[in-house]
Amino acid sequence: MIVVEHLSKSYGALAAVSDLSFRVERGQVVGFLGPNGAGKSTTLRILAGFLGASGGRASIAGFDVVEERLDALRQLGYMAETSPLYPEMKVREYLAFRSELKGVPRTKRRADVDRCLELARVSDVAGVLIGHLSKGYRQRVGLADALIHSPPLLILDEPTAGLDPNQIREVRALIASLAENHTILLSTHILSEVEATCSRAVVLAKGRLVAIGSIDELRGRGRPELILTLRGDEAIIRQVLSETAGVGSRVIEPHGEALRATLSLTAEDEAGQAETTERIVHALATATVGIREVRTTKATLEEVFAALTQHEARTENEAEAKR
Amino acid sequence: MRGLWPIFKRELFAHFVTPLAWVAMTAFLLIQGLHFFLIVQHFAGQLDLSADAGPVQTYFGQTMMLYLPLLFVCPILTMRLFAEERRNGTIEPLLTVPIQTAGLVLGKYLAVLVIYATMWLPTLFYMALLGRYGEVDWHIVASGYLAVIAIGSGYLAIGTMTSAMAKSQLTAALTSAMAITGLFMIGVGEFIFPEGLARELAGHVSAWAQMNDFSRGIVDSRRLVFDATIVVLPLFITVRAVDAWRLE
Repeated sequence: MIVVEHLSKSYGALAAVSDLSFRVERGQVVGFLGPNGAGKSTTLRILAGFLGASGGRASIAGFDVVEERLDALRQLGYMAETSPLYPEMKVREYLAFRSELKGVPRTKRRADVDRCLELARVSDVAGVLIGHLSKGYRQRVGLADALIHSPPLLILDEPTAGLDPNQIREVRALIASLAENHTILLSTHILSEVEATCSRAVVLAKGRLVAIGSIDELRGRGRPELILTLRGDEAIIRQVLSETAGVGSRVIEPHGEALRATLSLTAEDEAGQAETTERIVHALATATVGIREVRTTKATLEEVFAALTQHEARTENEAEAKR
Repeated sequence: MRGLWPIFKRELFAHFVTPLAWVAMTAFLLIQGLHFFLIVQHFAGQLDLSADAGPVQTYFGQTMMLYLPLLFVCPILTMRLFAEERRNGTIEPLLTVPIQTAGLVLGKYLAVLVIYATMWLPTLFYMALLGRYGEVDWHIVASGYLAVIAIGSGYLAIGTMTSAMAKSQLTAALTSAMAITGLFMIGVGEFIFPEGLARELAGHVSAWAQMNDFSRGIVDSRRLVFDATIVVLPLFITVRAVDAWRLE
Protein backbone atom coordinates (compact mmCIF):
# COMPACT_ATOMS: atom_id res chain seq x y z
CA MET A 1 0.00 0.00 0.00
CA ILE A 2 2.89 2.33 0.79
CA VAL A 3 6.29 1.91 -0.78
CA VAL A 4 9.10 4.23 0.25
CA GLU A 5 12.42 3.87 -1.54
CA HIS A 6 15.64 5.65 -0.57
CA LEU A 7 13.69 8.71 0.48
CA SER A 8 15.63 11.71 1.70
CA LYS A 9 14.75 15.26 2.58
CA SER A 10 17.01 18.02 3.76
CA TYR A 11 16.25 21.52 4.96
CA GLY A 12 19.35 23.41 3.93
CA ALA A 13 22.27 21.64 5.59
CA LEU A 14 20.02 19.71 7.97
CA ALA A 15 19.11 16.23 6.79
CA ALA A 16 15.64 15.51 8.18
CA VAL A 17 15.29 12.15 6.45
CA SER A 18 18.10 10.21 4.85
CA ASP A 19 17.91 7.12 2.65
CA LEU A 20 14.69 5.81 4.18
CA SER A 21 13.07 2.71 2.70
CA PHE A 22 10.13 0.70 4.00
CA ARG A 23 6.85 -0.85 2.89
CA VAL A 24 3.42 -1.02 4.41
CA GLU A 25 1.22 -3.83 3.12
CA ARG A 26 -2.54 -3.65 2.71
CA GLY A 27 -4.43 -4.24 5.96
CA GLN A 28 -1.52 -3.55 8.29
CA VAL A 29 -1.62 -1.09 11.17
CA VAL A 30 1.88 0.29 11.39
CA GLY A 31 3.31 2.51 14.08
CA PHE A 32 5.79 5.09 12.92
CA LEU A 33 8.07 5.52 15.89
CA GLY A 34 10.88 7.81 16.78
CA PRO A 35 11.94 10.51 19.19
CA ASN A 36 10.95 14.09 18.44
CA GLY A 37 12.83 15.39 15.44
CA ALA A 38 13.43 11.94 13.99
CA GLY A 39 11.82 12.90 10.70
CA LYS A 40 8.44 11.26 11.24
CA SER A 41 6.28 14.24 10.27
CA THR A 42 8.55 15.08 7.35
CA THR A 43 8.15 11.56 5.95
CA LEU A 44 4.39 11.58 6.41
CA ARG A 45 4.14 15.00 4.77
CA ILE A 46 6.08 13.75 1.78
CA LEU A 47 3.69 10.80 1.53
CA ALA A 48 0.72 13.19 1.69
CA GLY A 49 2.17 15.32 -1.10
CA PHE A 50 2.61 18.37 1.14
CA LEU A 51 6.40 18.33 0.92
CA GLY A 52 8.65 17.31 -1.91
CA ALA A 53 11.48 14.87 -1.29
CA SER A 54 15.10 15.82 -1.96
CA GLY A 55 15.79 12.33 -3.20
CA GLY A 56 14.25 8.88 -3.60
CA ARG A 57 10.62 8.14 -4.29
CA ALA A 58 7.41 7.09 -2.58
CA SER A 59 4.15 5.67 -3.81
CA ILE A 60 0.69 5.05 -2.42
CA ALA A 61 -1.35 2.18 -3.85
CA GLY A 62 0.99 2.14 -6.82
CA PHE A 63 0.69 5.87 -7.53
CA ASP A 64 3.82 7.98 -7.25
CA VAL A 65 3.22 10.75 -4.72
CA VAL A 66 4.80 13.37 -6.98
CA GLU A 67 4.08 12.23 -10.54
CA GLU A 68 0.54 10.98 -9.82
CA ARG A 69 -0.19 13.12 -6.80
CA LEU A 70 -3.94 13.46 -7.32
CA ASP A 71 -4.45 9.71 -7.84
CA ALA A 72 -2.33 8.94 -4.77
CA LEU A 73 -4.26 11.46 -2.65
CA ARG A 74 -7.59 9.89 -3.58
CA GLN A 75 -6.42 6.71 -1.85
CA LEU A 76 -5.28 8.54 1.25
CA GLY A 77 -6.94 10.04 4.29
CA TYR A 78 -4.34 12.26 5.93
CA MET A 79 -4.54 13.91 9.31
CA ALA A 80 -1.87 16.53 9.89
CA GLU A 81 -0.15 16.95 13.23
CA THR A 82 -2.35 18.99 15.65
CA SER A 83 -5.13 18.75 13.06
CA PRO A 84 -5.39 22.39 11.88
CA LEU A 85 -9.02 23.39 11.16
CA TYR A 86 -10.99 26.55 10.35
CA PRO A 87 -12.28 27.93 13.66
CA GLU A 88 -15.06 29.96 12.02
CA MET A 89 -16.79 26.91 10.55
CA LYS A 90 -19.21 24.51 12.18
CA VAL A 91 -18.20 20.86 12.32
CA ARG A 92 -20.83 19.69 9.84
CA GLU A 93 -20.08 22.59 7.46
CA TYR A 94 -16.40 21.81 7.61
CA LEU A 95 -16.87 18.13 6.83
CA ALA A 96 -19.25 18.97 3.97
CA PHE A 97 -16.64 21.37 2.59
CA ARG A 98 -13.92 18.77 2.87
CA SER A 99 -16.00 16.05 1.24
CA GLU A 100 -16.76 18.34 -1.69
CA LEU A 101 -13.09 19.24 -1.93
CA LYS A 102 -12.16 15.57 -1.99
CA GLY A 103 -14.60 14.92 -4.79
CA VAL A 104 -17.31 12.97 -2.97
CA PRO A 105 -20.35 13.03 -5.31
CA ARG A 106 -23.09 15.42 -4.21
CA THR A 107 -25.63 12.63 -3.69
CA LYS A 108 -23.34 10.75 -1.30
CA ARG A 109 -22.07 13.78 0.58
CA ARG A 110 -24.73 14.09 3.25
CA ALA A 111 -24.70 10.41 4.11
CA ASP A 112 -20.89 10.39 4.22
CA VAL A 113 -20.77 13.37 6.55
CA ASP A 114 -23.26 11.66 8.86
CA ARG A 115 -21.32 8.41 8.73
CA CYS A 116 -18.03 10.10 9.64
CA LEU A 117 -19.59 12.22 12.37
CA GLU A 118 -20.82 8.95 13.84
CA LEU A 119 -17.58 7.06 13.26
CA ALA A 120 -15.37 9.71 14.84
CA ARG A 121 -17.93 10.22 17.62
CA VAL A 122 -18.44 13.89 16.97
CA SER A 123 -22.17 13.82 16.09
CA ASP A 124 -23.00 15.63 19.33
CA VAL A 125 -20.99 18.69 18.25
CA ALA A 126 -22.03 18.69 14.57
CA GLY A 127 -23.56 22.16 14.92
CA VAL A 128 -20.82 23.70 17.07
CA LEU A 129 -18.20 26.15 15.81
CA ILE A 130 -14.83 24.42 15.56
CA GLY A 131 -13.23 27.33 17.42
CA HIS A 132 -15.30 26.42 20.48
CA LEU A 133 -14.25 22.76 20.58
CA SER A 134 -11.79 21.17 22.98
CA LYS A 135 -8.57 19.72 21.64
CA GLY A 136 -9.89 16.18 21.89
CA TYR A 137 -12.91 17.02 19.78
CA ARG A 138 -10.82 18.90 17.24
CA GLN A 139 -8.53 15.93 16.90
CA ARG A 140 -11.53 13.73 16.21
CA VAL A 141 -12.93 16.18 13.67
CA GLY A 142 -9.55 15.86 11.93
CA LEU A 143 -10.01 12.11 11.98
CA ALA A 144 -13.55 12.41 10.58
CA ASP A 145 -12.08 14.56 7.82
CA ALA A 146 -9.46 11.91 7.02
CA LEU A 147 -12.26 9.35 6.67
CA ILE A 148 -14.69 11.45 4.67
CA HIS A 149 -13.89 10.12 1.19
CA SER A 150 -13.68 6.50 2.41
CA PRO A 151 -9.98 6.07 1.59
CA PRO A 152 -8.43 2.61 2.00
CA LEU A 153 -5.32 4.14 3.60
CA LEU A 154 -5.08 6.42 6.63
CA ILE A 155 -1.97 8.35 7.58
CA LEU A 156 -2.31 9.94 11.00
CA ASP A 157 0.38 12.22 12.36
CA GLU A 158 0.39 11.97 16.16
CA PRO A 159 -3.35 11.45 16.51
CA THR A 160 -3.20 11.44 20.32
CA ALA A 161 -0.74 14.32 20.89
CA GLY A 162 -1.90 16.73 23.55
CA LEU A 163 -4.94 14.72 24.63
CA ASP A 164 -5.81 13.72 28.17
CA PRO A 165 -5.76 10.02 29.14
CA ASN A 166 -9.50 9.55 28.57
CA GLN A 167 -9.36 11.13 25.16
CA ILE A 168 -6.30 9.08 24.28
CA ARG A 169 -8.22 5.93 25.15
CA GLU A 170 -11.13 7.01 23.00
CA VAL A 171 -8.97 7.85 19.99
CA ARG A 172 -7.14 4.54 20.37
CA ALA A 173 -10.41 2.64 20.47
CA LEU A 174 -11.45 4.52 17.36
CA ILE A 175 -8.25 3.61 15.54
CA ALA A 176 -8.64 -0.01 16.61
CA SER A 177 -12.15 -0.07 15.15
CA LEU A 178 -10.89 1.48 11.90
CA ALA A 179 -8.11 -1.08 11.64
CA GLU A 180 -10.62 -3.71 10.50
CA ASN A 181 -11.00 -2.25 7.03
CA HIS A 182 -8.23 0.29 6.63
CA THR A 183 -4.50 0.25 6.24
CA ILE A 184 -3.16 2.65 8.83
CA LEU A 185 0.21 4.34 9.31
CA LEU A 186 0.29 6.39 12.48
CA SER A 187 3.18 8.28 13.95
CA THR A 188 3.78 8.64 17.64
CA HIS A 189 6.50 8.83 20.23
CA ILE A 190 4.34 7.12 22.82
CA LEU A 191 5.28 3.46 22.88
CA SER A 192 2.31 2.12 24.75
CA GLU A 193 0.25 3.50 21.89
CA VAL A 194 2.06 1.33 19.40
CA GLU A 195 1.73 -1.70 21.65
CA ALA A 196 -1.98 -0.99 22.03
CA THR A 197 -2.91 -0.34 18.43
CA CYS A 198 -0.27 -1.51 15.98
CA SER A 199 0.83 -4.85 14.67
CA ARG A 200 4.06 -3.55 13.19
CA ALA A 201 6.40 -0.66 13.74
CA VAL A 202 8.90 1.36 11.76
CA VAL A 203 11.48 2.96 14.06
CA LEU A 204 13.26 6.11 12.98
CA ALA A 205 16.09 8.04 14.60
CA LYS A 206 17.81 11.11 13.18
CA GLY A 207 16.07 10.56 9.88
CA ARG A 208 17.33 7.01 9.45
CA LEU A 209 15.54 3.71 9.66
CA VAL A 210 16.80 1.86 12.74
CA ALA A 211 14.34 -1.01 12.93
CA ILE A 212 11.27 -2.41 11.24
CA GLY A 213 9.20 -5.43 12.10
CA SER A 214 6.31 -6.75 14.11
CA ILE A 215 6.02 -5.55 17.70
CA ASP A 216 7.07 -9.00 18.98
CA GLU A 217 10.11 -9.06 16.73
CA LEU A 218 11.14 -5.65 17.98
CA ARG A 219 10.66 -6.65 21.58
CA GLY A 220 12.76 -9.75 20.87
CA ARG A 221 15.64 -7.49 19.85
CA GLY A 222 16.16 -6.56 23.45
CA ARG A 223 18.21 -9.15 25.34
CA PRO A 224 16.30 -10.67 28.24
CA GLU A 225 17.99 -10.68 31.63
CA LEU A 226 18.25 -13.61 33.95
CA ILE A 227 17.84 -12.80 37.62
CA LEU A 228 18.99 -15.29 40.22
CA THR A 229 18.75 -15.12 43.98
CA LEU A 230 21.47 -17.31 45.41
CA ARG A 231 22.91 -18.35 48.73
CA GLY A 232 26.51 -19.43 49.02
CA ASP A 233 30.10 -18.26 48.75
CA GLU A 234 30.35 -15.24 46.44
CA ALA A 235 33.74 -16.27 45.07
CA ILE A 236 32.43 -19.68 44.05
CA ILE A 237 29.36 -18.15 42.45
CA ARG A 238 31.49 -15.72 40.47
CA GLN A 239 33.73 -18.51 39.31
CA VAL A 240 30.86 -20.74 38.21
CA LEU A 241 29.19 -17.93 36.32
CA SER A 242 32.38 -16.90 34.57
CA GLU A 243 32.97 -20.49 33.44
CA THR A 244 29.49 -20.95 32.02
CA ALA A 245 29.20 -20.23 28.32
CA GLY A 246 26.56 -17.78 27.10
CA VAL A 247 26.68 -15.35 29.98
CA GLY A 248 27.32 -11.76 29.05
CA SER A 249 27.65 -9.06 31.63
CA ARG A 250 26.94 -9.91 35.22
CA VAL A 251 26.21 -7.91 38.30
CA ILE A 252 26.33 -9.57 41.68
CA GLU A 253 25.16 -7.70 44.72
CA PRO A 254 24.00 -8.57 48.21
CA HIS A 255 20.26 -9.03 48.53
CA GLY A 256 19.21 -9.43 52.17
CA GLU A 257 21.14 -12.38 53.50
CA ALA A 258 21.47 -13.81 49.99
CA LEU A 259 23.06 -12.59 46.77
CA ARG A 260 21.37 -11.36 43.64
CA ALA A 261 22.94 -11.98 40.25
CA THR A 262 21.64 -10.11 37.24
CA LEU A 263 22.96 -11.67 34.05
CA SER A 264 22.57 -10.82 30.43
CA LEU A 265 22.47 -13.71 28.00
CA THR A 266 24.35 -13.63 24.76
CA ALA A 267 22.15 -16.10 22.87
CA GLU A 268 20.16 -14.51 20.03
CA ASP A 269 17.00 -16.64 20.12
CA GLU A 270 14.72 -17.84 22.87
CA ALA A 271 15.78 -21.48 22.61
CA GLY A 272 19.42 -20.53 23.08
CA GLN A 273 18.56 -18.36 26.05
CA ALA A 274 16.58 -21.17 27.67
CA GLU A 275 19.51 -23.54 27.14
CA THR A 276 21.91 -21.09 28.77
CA THR A 277 19.56 -20.71 31.72
CA GLU A 278 19.48 -24.46 32.10
CA ARG A 279 23.28 -24.66 31.99
CA ILE A 280 23.69 -21.93 34.58
CA VAL A 281 21.26 -23.51 36.99
CA HIS A 282 22.87 -26.90 36.54
CA ALA A 283 26.38 -25.55 37.13
CA LEU A 284 25.29 -23.67 40.23
CA ALA A 285 23.51 -26.70 41.64
CA THR A 286 26.56 -28.87 40.97
CA ALA A 287 28.65 -26.36 42.94
CA THR A 288 26.11 -26.73 45.78
CA VAL A 289 25.04 -23.11 45.61
CA GLY A 290 21.56 -22.57 47.05
CA ILE A 291 19.18 -21.37 44.34
CA ARG A 292 16.23 -19.49 45.78
CA GLU A 293 14.81 -17.83 42.72
CA VAL A 294 15.28 -17.90 38.94
CA ARG A 295 13.43 -15.53 36.67
CA THR A 296 13.86 -13.83 33.35
CA THR A 297 12.73 -10.34 32.44
CA LYS A 298 11.56 -9.67 28.93
CA ALA A 299 12.83 -6.43 27.47
CA THR A 300 10.10 -3.82 27.19
CA LEU A 301 9.54 -1.95 23.97
CA GLU A 302 10.74 1.14 25.82
CA GLU A 303 14.14 -0.42 26.44
CA VAL A 304 14.42 -1.61 22.85
CA PHE A 305 13.40 1.82 21.61
CA ALA A 306 15.88 3.57 23.87
CA ALA A 307 18.67 1.21 22.83
CA LEU A 308 17.88 1.58 19.12
CA THR A 309 17.47 5.32 19.01
CA GLN A 310 20.30 6.15 21.40
CA HIS A 311 22.70 3.95 19.53
CA GLU A 312 21.89 5.85 16.39
CA ALA A 313 22.33 9.18 18.12
CA ARG A 314 25.67 8.05 19.56
CA THR A 315 27.15 6.92 16.28
CA GLU A 316 25.97 10.18 14.77
CA ASN A 317 27.76 12.15 17.48
CA GLU A 318 30.92 10.10 17.10
CA ALA A 319 30.92 10.69 13.38
CA GLU A 320 30.43 14.36 14.11
CA ALA A 321 33.33 14.38 16.57
CA LYS A 322 35.63 12.71 14.06
CA ARG A 323 34.84 15.38 11.56
CA MET B 1 -11.25 22.67 -12.61
CA ARG B 2 -11.47 20.45 -9.52
CA GLY B 3 -11.62 22.27 -6.22
CA LEU B 4 -12.43 25.71 -7.60
CA TRP B 5 -16.09 25.74 -6.57
CA PRO B 6 -15.77 24.52 -2.95
CA ILE B 7 -12.76 26.80 -2.37
CA PHE B 8 -14.66 29.73 -3.87
CA LYS B 9 -17.67 29.14 -1.62
CA ARG B 10 -15.61 28.74 1.53
CA GLU B 11 -13.55 31.80 0.78
CA LEU B 12 -16.67 33.94 0.29
CA PHE B 13 -18.06 32.62 3.55
CA ALA B 14 -14.78 33.21 5.40
CA HIS B 15 -14.67 36.83 4.21
CA PHE B 16 -18.12 37.63 5.40
CA VAL B 17 -17.55 36.23 8.88
CA THR B 18 -14.40 38.29 9.43
CA PRO B 19 -15.00 41.79 10.79
CA LEU B 20 -12.16 43.19 8.71
CA ALA B 21 -14.07 42.67 5.45
CA TRP B 22 -17.00 44.64 6.82
CA VAL B 23 -14.75 47.41 8.13
CA ALA B 24 -13.05 47.72 4.74
CA MET B 25 -16.40 47.72 2.97
CA THR B 26 -17.82 50.39 5.27
CA ALA B 27 -14.77 52.61 4.91
CA PHE B 28 -14.89 52.15 1.16
CA LEU B 29 -18.55 53.09 0.90
CA LEU B 30 -18.08 56.08 3.23
CA ILE B 31 -15.37 57.43 0.97
CA GLN B 32 -17.39 56.74 -2.16
CA GLY B 33 -20.43 58.40 -0.59
CA LEU B 34 -18.39 61.47 0.27
CA HIS B 35 -16.92 61.43 -3.22
CA PHE B 36 -20.37 61.35 -4.79
CA PHE B 37 -21.69 64.02 -2.45
CA LEU B 38 -18.87 66.40 -3.37
CA ILE B 39 -19.41 65.84 -7.08
CA VAL B 40 -23.15 66.44 -6.88
CA GLN B 41 -22.52 69.50 -4.71
CA HIS B 42 -20.10 70.84 -7.31
CA PHE B 43 -22.45 70.28 -10.25
CA ALA B 44 -25.47 71.62 -8.44
CA GLY B 45 -23.72 75.04 -8.44
CA GLN B 46 -23.05 75.01 -12.19
CA LEU B 47 -25.48 76.51 -14.64
CA ASP B 48 -24.65 74.66 -17.83
CA LEU B 49 -23.07 71.26 -18.33
CA SER B 50 -21.02 70.12 -21.27
CA ALA B 51 -22.10 66.78 -22.66
CA ASP B 52 -18.97 64.79 -21.75
CA ALA B 53 -18.28 66.23 -18.31
CA GLY B 54 -21.36 65.44 -16.24
CA PRO B 55 -21.37 63.98 -12.74
CA VAL B 56 -21.12 60.37 -13.97
CA GLN B 57 -18.01 61.08 -16.04
CA THR B 58 -16.50 62.97 -13.15
CA TYR B 59 -17.31 60.19 -10.71
CA PHE B 60 -15.45 57.62 -12.79
CA GLY B 61 -12.82 59.65 -14.46
CA GLN B 62 -11.79 62.97 -13.04
CA THR B 63 -10.93 62.69 -9.36
CA MET B 64 -8.44 60.89 -7.16
CA MET B 65 -11.15 59.72 -4.80
CA LEU B 66 -11.96 56.76 -6.98
CA TYR B 67 -8.48 55.22 -6.89
CA LEU B 68 -7.35 55.99 -3.39
CA PRO B 69 -9.72 53.49 -1.77
CA LEU B 70 -8.57 50.81 -4.22
CA LEU B 71 -5.02 51.19 -2.96
CA PHE B 72 -6.06 50.09 0.52
CA VAL B 73 -9.14 47.97 -0.17
CA CYS B 74 -7.51 45.52 -2.57
CA PRO B 75 -4.59 44.65 -0.24
CA ILE B 76 -6.98 44.23 2.69
CA LEU B 77 -9.26 41.91 0.73
CA THR B 78 -6.43 39.72 -0.50
CA MET B 79 -3.92 39.70 2.36
CA ARG B 80 -5.43 36.78 4.24
CA LEU B 81 -5.96 34.45 1.23
CA PHE B 82 -2.79 32.40 1.66
CA ALA B 83 -0.82 34.12 4.42
CA GLU B 84 -3.45 33.29 7.04
CA GLU B 85 -3.67 29.63 5.99
CA ARG B 86 0.08 29.29 6.22
CA ARG B 87 0.23 30.95 9.61
CA ASN B 88 -2.56 28.73 11.01
CA GLY B 89 -1.31 25.57 9.37
CA THR B 90 -4.64 25.05 7.60
CA ILE B 91 -2.73 25.12 4.32
CA GLU B 92 -1.62 21.56 5.04
CA PRO B 93 -5.09 19.95 4.88
CA LEU B 94 -5.76 22.15 1.86
CA LEU B 95 -2.72 20.97 -0.09
CA THR B 96 -3.25 17.31 0.77
CA VAL B 97 -6.57 16.90 -1.03
CA PRO B 98 -6.79 15.76 -4.64
CA ILE B 99 -7.25 19.18 -6.28
CA GLN B 100 -5.08 21.11 -8.70
CA THR B 101 -3.18 24.12 -7.45
CA ALA B 102 -4.74 26.24 -10.19
CA GLY B 103 -8.21 25.38 -8.85
CA LEU B 104 -7.17 26.45 -5.37
CA VAL B 105 -5.67 29.76 -6.54
CA LEU B 106 -8.52 30.61 -8.91
CA GLY B 107 -11.17 29.71 -6.34
CA LYS B 108 -9.64 32.08 -3.83
CA TYR B 109 -9.06 34.82 -6.39
CA LEU B 110 -12.58 34.68 -7.82
CA ALA B 111 -14.02 34.90 -4.31
CA VAL B 112 -12.27 38.20 -3.60
CA LEU B 113 -13.20 39.44 -7.06
CA VAL B 114 -16.86 38.79 -6.29
CA ILE B 115 -16.52 40.55 -2.93
CA TYR B 116 -14.85 43.47 -4.66
CA ALA B 117 -17.71 43.70 -7.18
CA THR B 118 -20.18 43.49 -4.30
CA MET B 119 -18.50 46.49 -2.70
CA TRP B 120 -19.21 48.53 -5.78
CA LEU B 121 -22.79 47.36 -6.02
CA PRO B 122 -24.27 49.96 -3.63
CA THR B 123 -22.73 52.77 -5.72
CA LEU B 124 -25.21 51.85 -8.47
CA PHE B 125 -27.68 53.59 -6.21
CA TYR B 126 -25.89 56.90 -6.96
CA MET B 127 -26.42 56.34 -10.66
CA ALA B 128 -30.09 55.55 -10.09
CA LEU B 129 -30.34 58.74 -8.06
CA LEU B 130 -28.77 60.81 -10.86
CA GLY B 131 -31.04 59.10 -13.38
CA ARG B 132 -34.04 60.06 -11.35
CA TYR B 133 -33.26 63.79 -11.32
CA GLY B 134 -31.46 64.13 -14.61
CA GLU B 135 -30.23 62.28 -17.62
CA VAL B 136 -27.70 59.50 -17.31
CA ASP B 137 -25.90 57.89 -20.24
CA TRP B 138 -26.06 54.26 -19.20
CA HIS B 139 -23.37 53.30 -21.73
CA ILE B 140 -20.97 55.47 -19.83
CA VAL B 141 -22.07 53.96 -16.53
CA ALA B 142 -21.43 50.50 -18.00
CA SER B 143 -17.99 51.36 -19.35
CA GLY B 144 -17.14 53.11 -16.08
CA TYR B 145 -17.95 50.02 -14.03
CA LEU B 146 -16.16 47.82 -16.56
CA ALA B 147 -12.99 49.86 -16.03
CA VAL B 148 -13.37 49.82 -12.26
CA ILE B 149 -13.72 46.02 -12.29
CA ALA B 150 -10.92 45.55 -14.84
CA ILE B 151 -8.43 47.66 -12.89
CA GLY B 152 -9.51 46.12 -9.58
CA SER B 153 -9.09 42.60 -11.00
CA GLY B 154 -5.43 43.34 -11.62
CA TYR B 155 -4.89 44.84 -8.18
CA LEU B 156 -6.57 41.84 -6.56
CA ALA B 157 -4.40 39.43 -8.56
CA ILE B 158 -1.31 41.30 -7.33
CA GLY B 159 -2.64 41.01 -3.77
CA THR B 160 -3.27 37.28 -4.21
CA MET B 161 0.30 36.87 -5.36
CA THR B 162 1.86 38.73 -2.45
CA SER B 163 -0.32 36.80 -0.01
CA ALA B 164 1.11 33.56 -1.37
CA MET B 165 4.65 34.91 -1.15
CA ALA B 166 4.56 36.53 2.28
CA LYS B 167 4.30 34.58 5.49
CA SER B 168 2.37 37.21 7.42
CA GLN B 169 -0.77 39.04 6.42
CA LEU B 170 0.78 42.39 7.25
CA THR B 171 3.72 41.80 4.92
CA ALA B 172 1.32 40.60 2.24
CA ALA B 173 -0.82 43.74 2.56
CA LEU B 174 2.16 46.09 2.62
CA THR B 175 3.90 44.58 -0.38
CA SER B 176 0.74 44.49 -2.47
CA ALA B 177 -0.10 48.08 -1.47
CA MET B 178 3.38 49.11 -2.54
CA ALA B 179 3.16 47.20 -5.82
CA ILE B 180 -0.25 48.69 -6.60
CA THR B 181 0.86 52.19 -5.67
CA GLY B 182 3.99 51.71 -7.77
CA LEU B 183 1.91 50.66 -10.75
CA PHE B 184 -0.34 53.65 -10.24
CA MET B 185 2.63 56.00 -9.93
CA ILE B 186 4.11 54.81 -13.22
CA GLY B 187 0.82 55.88 -14.75
CA VAL B 188 1.19 59.32 -13.22
CA GLY B 189 4.39 59.60 -15.26
CA GLU B 190 2.09 60.47 -18.12
CA PHE B 191 1.82 63.99 -16.71
CA ILE B 192 5.48 64.30 -15.74
CA PHE B 193 7.67 62.85 -18.47
CA PRO B 194 8.44 64.97 -21.51
CA GLU B 195 7.03 63.93 -24.85
CA GLY B 196 8.57 60.61 -25.86
CA LEU B 197 8.69 56.86 -25.24
CA ALA B 198 8.59 57.08 -21.44
CA ARG B 199 5.52 59.22 -21.51
CA GLU B 200 3.81 56.96 -24.00
CA LEU B 201 4.58 53.88 -21.90
CA ALA B 202 3.32 55.61 -18.78
CA GLY B 203 0.15 56.51 -20.61
CA HIS B 204 -0.42 52.86 -21.53
CA VAL B 205 -0.19 51.55 -17.99
CA SER B 206 -1.98 54.50 -16.41
CA ALA B 207 -5.09 53.58 -14.47
CA TRP B 208 -5.90 57.27 -14.47
CA ALA B 209 -5.85 57.53 -18.27
CA GLN B 210 -7.87 54.35 -18.54
CA MET B 211 -10.57 55.69 -16.22
CA ASN B 212 -10.61 58.94 -18.19
CA ASP B 213 -11.15 57.07 -21.44
CA PHE B 214 -13.71 54.66 -20.11
CA SER B 215 -15.61 57.38 -18.28
CA ARG B 216 -16.14 59.01 -21.65
CA GLY B 217 -17.35 55.74 -23.14
CA ILE B 218 -14.10 55.00 -24.98
CA VAL B 219 -13.58 51.28 -24.44
CA ASP B 220 -10.07 50.64 -25.74
CA SER B 221 -9.39 46.92 -26.08
CA ARG B 222 -5.63 47.51 -25.64
CA ARG B 223 -6.32 48.72 -22.13
CA LEU B 224 -8.39 45.61 -21.39
CA VAL B 225 -5.59 43.42 -22.70
CA PHE B 226 -3.17 45.21 -20.37
CA ASP B 227 -5.55 44.70 -17.44
CA ALA B 228 -5.84 41.01 -18.32
CA THR B 229 -2.03 40.74 -18.28
CA ILE B 230 -1.98 42.19 -14.77
CA VAL B 231 -4.47 39.47 -13.80
CA VAL B 232 -2.93 36.47 -15.52
CA LEU B 233 0.72 37.08 -14.73
CA PRO B 234 0.40 37.42 -10.92
CA LEU B 235 -2.02 34.47 -10.77
CA PHE B 236 0.40 32.34 -12.74
CA ILE B 237 3.17 33.31 -10.33
CA THR B 238 0.84 32.49 -7.43
CA VAL B 239 0.28 28.95 -8.74
CA ARG B 240 4.03 28.48 -9.10
CA ALA B 241 4.65 29.91 -5.61
CA VAL B 242 2.14 27.51 -4.02
CA ASP B 243 3.71 24.57 -5.87
CA ALA B 244 7.13 25.76 -4.74
CA TRP B 245 6.19 25.41 -1.05
CA ARG B 246 6.39 21.68 -1.56
CA LEU B 247 10.05 22.04 -2.47
CA GLU B 248 11.02 24.16 0.50
